Amino acid sequence: METKFIALTVNGKKYEFLSGSDSIVGIVPWNETLSDTLRQRLDLTGSKEACGEGACGCCTVLVDNRAVSSCMTLTSDCNGKEIITIEGLEDPVTGELDPLQQAFIDYYAFQCGFCTPGIIMAAKGLLIKNPHPTEEEVKDALSGNQCRCISQYHVIDAVMHVSKQISI
Amino acid sequence: MKNFNHINVDSFDAASFELAHKKNGKTVLIAGGTDLMNILKEEILPEYPDTVINIKNIPDSEGITVGENGITIGALTKLVDIAESQIIKEKAIGLGEAAKSVASSLVRNAGTIGGNICQDVRCWYYRYPHSSGGRMVCQRKGGSECYAIRGDNRYHSIFGGMKTHRSSCTGECPAGTDIPAYMEQIRKGNTAGAAQIIMEVNPMPALTSRVCAHFCQDGCNRGCQDEDVAIGNVERYVGDYILENSDLYFKAPATSTGKSVAIIGAGPSGLSAAYYLRRAGNDVTIYDTKKEAGGMLMYAIPAYRLPKDIVRKFVSSLKKMGINIITNTTIGKDIQASKIEEKYDSVFYATGAWKRPVIGIAGEELTEFGLDFLIQVNEWMKGKVGSEVLVTGGGNVAMDVAITAKRLGAKKVTMACLECESDMPASREEIARAREEGVIIMPSWGLSKVIEENGVLKGMELKRCTSTRDEKGAFSPQYDHCETQIVNAENILMAVGQQVDLSFLDEKYQVQLNQRGLIDVSEETQMTSREGVFAGGDATTGPATVIKGIANGHKAANGMNKYLGVVEAHIFHNMISEDEGFITFDPEGLKVKTAAKLKEIPADKRSIDKEDAFSLSVEEVLKEASRCMNCGCYAVNASDISPVLIAMDATIITNKKKIKAVDFFTIKLNSVDMLDLDELVKAIFIPDMSSFQTHYEKLRIRRSIDFALVSCASAYKLTDGKINDISIVLGGVAPVPYKLAEVEELLIGKEMTSELVEQCVDVAMKHAMPLEKNTYKLSETRSLVKQLLSEIN
Repeated sequence: METKFIALTVNGKKYEFLSGSDSIVGIVPWNETLSDTLRQRLDLTGSKEACGEGACGCCTVLVDNRAVSSCMTLTSDCNGKEIITIEGLEDPVTGELDPLQQAFIDYYAFQCGFCTPGIIMAAKGLLIKNPHPTEEEVKDALSGNQCRCISQYHVIDAVMHVSKQISI
Repeated sequence: MKNFNHINVDSFDAASFELAHKKNGKTVLIAGGTDLMNILKEEILPEYPDTVINIKNIPDSEGITVGENGITIGALTKLVDIAESQIIKEKAIGLGEAAKSVASSLVRNAGTIGGNICQDVRCWYYRYPHSSGGRMVCQRKGGSECYAIRGDNRYHSIFGGMKTHRSSCTGECPAGTDIPAYMEQIRKGNTAGAAQIIMEVNPMPALTSRVCAHFCQDGCNRGCQDEDVAIGNVERYVGDYILENSDLYFKAPATSTGKSVAIIGAGPSGLSAAYYLRRAGNDVTIYDTKKEAGGMLMYAIPAYRLPKDIVRKFVSSLKKMGINIITNTTIGKDIQASKIEEKYDSVFYATGAWKRPVIGIAGEELTEFGLDFLIQVNEWMKGKVGSEVLVTGGGNVAMDVAITAKRLGAKKVTMACLECESDMPASREEIARAREEGVIIMPSWGLSKVIEENGVLKGMELKRCTSTRDEKGAFSPQYDHCETQIVNAENILMAVGQQVDLSFLDEKYQVQLNQRGLIDVSEETQMTSREGVFAGGDATTGPATVIKGIANGHKAANGMNKYLGVVEAHIFHNMISEDEGFITFDPEGLKVKTAAKLKEIPADKRSIDKEDAFSLSVEEVLKEASRCMNCGCYAVNASDISPVLIAMDATIITNKKKIKAVDFFTIKLNSVDMLDLDELVKAIFIPDMSSFQTHYEKLRIRRSIDFALVSCASAYKLTDGKINDISIVLGGVAPVPYKLAEVEELLIGKEMTSELVEQCVDVAMKHAMPLEKNTYKLSETRSLVKQLLSEIN
């Protein structure tokens, strides 16, 4: 059986998986999505999987600081990549939340919360690239994230709050 | 998602190598994966890839660089980077607008420009998930039908469709007649064009339309919803038109090739070969043993089905082309085959199957050969036919024999055949016609022995036939000898097949025969075992249909031309109107549920020498042709980037060639089909657009993740207020991006005025043909084009 190693950095920790085409317990099959690897192997269940076809944004994570749908990404394509999930945003030592997470709490920017990790990661991707986006830019960056509870208005307020606060 | 083999490559050459050396199964490339992952997860395509090659990590495959003559964009450049690129904003803003319009920011963060321009179609029937009751195998996936034609087509084409492969009606026709194409010409009112399409494969549609089994209609996709298009009846109209205008279609060739050919046998196959050989400029002579040319068409098929003046008209048209027809001449008797072979540059034997087969039952010598009966029907009219007649056989010849006997005055005509009714070789129509005229049909009966009294025929004993074929499908009739029945008859007409008689062939000029005792010929050229000697028709196939003989004769003509070194120039193509590349149909015609039927003489008034049915009127033909769905793919181009690249006259750079965007996106339905199996897009080059205004506008319902209802890419340059150069390409309205070439031509050198805008909008929409549920797209497209043109100043 052909196998190869996949090295990932997830939330600052390094992982190495053996991947292959056949199903041996413990091996990462080549068709496994990043969403499944994160949620089922690493137990990072913050990001959710809803539509499974890249249309809802619930599974959004950062791959090399870019927000992508993890359900549409093959783990085997991610060798050498750095991945950040919602679990990786808080300060690992103090437990302090990321300003974006705090803003979502402060602005009541979620109701059921299912889509929230994805929305926060998509917003995080935007702020890394563009720390002070306009409202139009925020709307565009979050256009691939659906919220059935209709919290979008508060989400925009929360992200705009951070946009105005952060200074680098 | 099923598993696959995964390969990382570090160069385009390595990817190409993997594509070229794939072991077995399908190999696909993954770049951003936003299109592919969906195809894999939903198992949309019948063939699942065996191997996925990751090309994301190829060095220097990503990025935008400015050169002297333009901009080069690496194939792996992500859409987000193109949308946000300062270089693109300054030099080719239209491309940036198009990139930004793609799906959502999450998709643009992953999706690449190379993947975007190679993506698969977004039609919901094509992309129907396999897990929900099975994928839909539409025409684009190799099936026969486009589900959108009759289904939900809100987002589909308003400028017609494109063929993906041969339509199933064409596939069923032994001659491969392009039926949808001639139906389209009829709808356009161009009967001459329709005639020409048929003449390319069949020179005698007036004859075939009357006698053909119309296999084509079995392939018609309308059959599963209401009734097949009555292709034969429409063909008959075109066939009559051809004979009425025979001067146009049977012209003597302009130049002679100096080659001479002989054809033995003036039946369907021989006459077909003669037409194509003469058209190419050869000197053609046909020999036939009978008094008149036509073979089975003249002698075996009754006049009530095929009037003999139609056969004569066709034969005289061939004579006008300069074909020399020598009748009353039997090869092997009046002239030796060897003499003919010496005299001509090439010879074609199409001698048919006229010989009586011997069954081997007691008293067989008292029965008569059904074919002889048909040939000599005139003599039979002189009172030979008895009051009770038994016809044996279940094919169309048996039907002709039975009906003719009945019409000649036989009181009781019984027909017995081995097959059960559903397996009878005769067409359903012919069986129904026989019943209508009072013929008693007895399926599943075999011949036991002839009943005679002192040498006088009294009847036939039949025995029950329990099956006709063995498990392997080979002919092997089984009988129940205990169940017998006697049918009284004064005449027994045997119509259980015909045999091929090759006794005319000289011993020293013998050609190789196959196991069935038929002349062995090359599948491709119809050439026999001897150089320059060809054979076709029933002599090579055994008794077959007229259209098969015609197809066979045409193939032989091509084979002989090739052998003689003759290249035929296409002379007629100007008759076919090809205003635009897209195929069209008439949505109104879809609503016509019933097929046009021929009017017939009432059963009690029919005779043996007057044709039973009348041809359709022009109105009926137009209505019937409108029922043809012109099956193809009516989805629209998927990529937002493709219209812009065409408008900017970009070049797609692969590992093997450079190809203009307009060719890459519009020649074939799938842009990737322009690439070899081991070829992949490396980069895209956009020429310097600094003196142009470029723009991409996409009309859609949702801002995020939505198709373009219609999109418009444009690039133009003004000089002194006049349009110096302009390119306008629409997306989302046709199977491939739709370049408004006529509008561009109209605008060059002009100053924009409101009248000109209106005129251009009308020209842009000239070829529009909306489907039932997308007429709204017409006004959307009009306003988008109008908006673009109004902004030019």
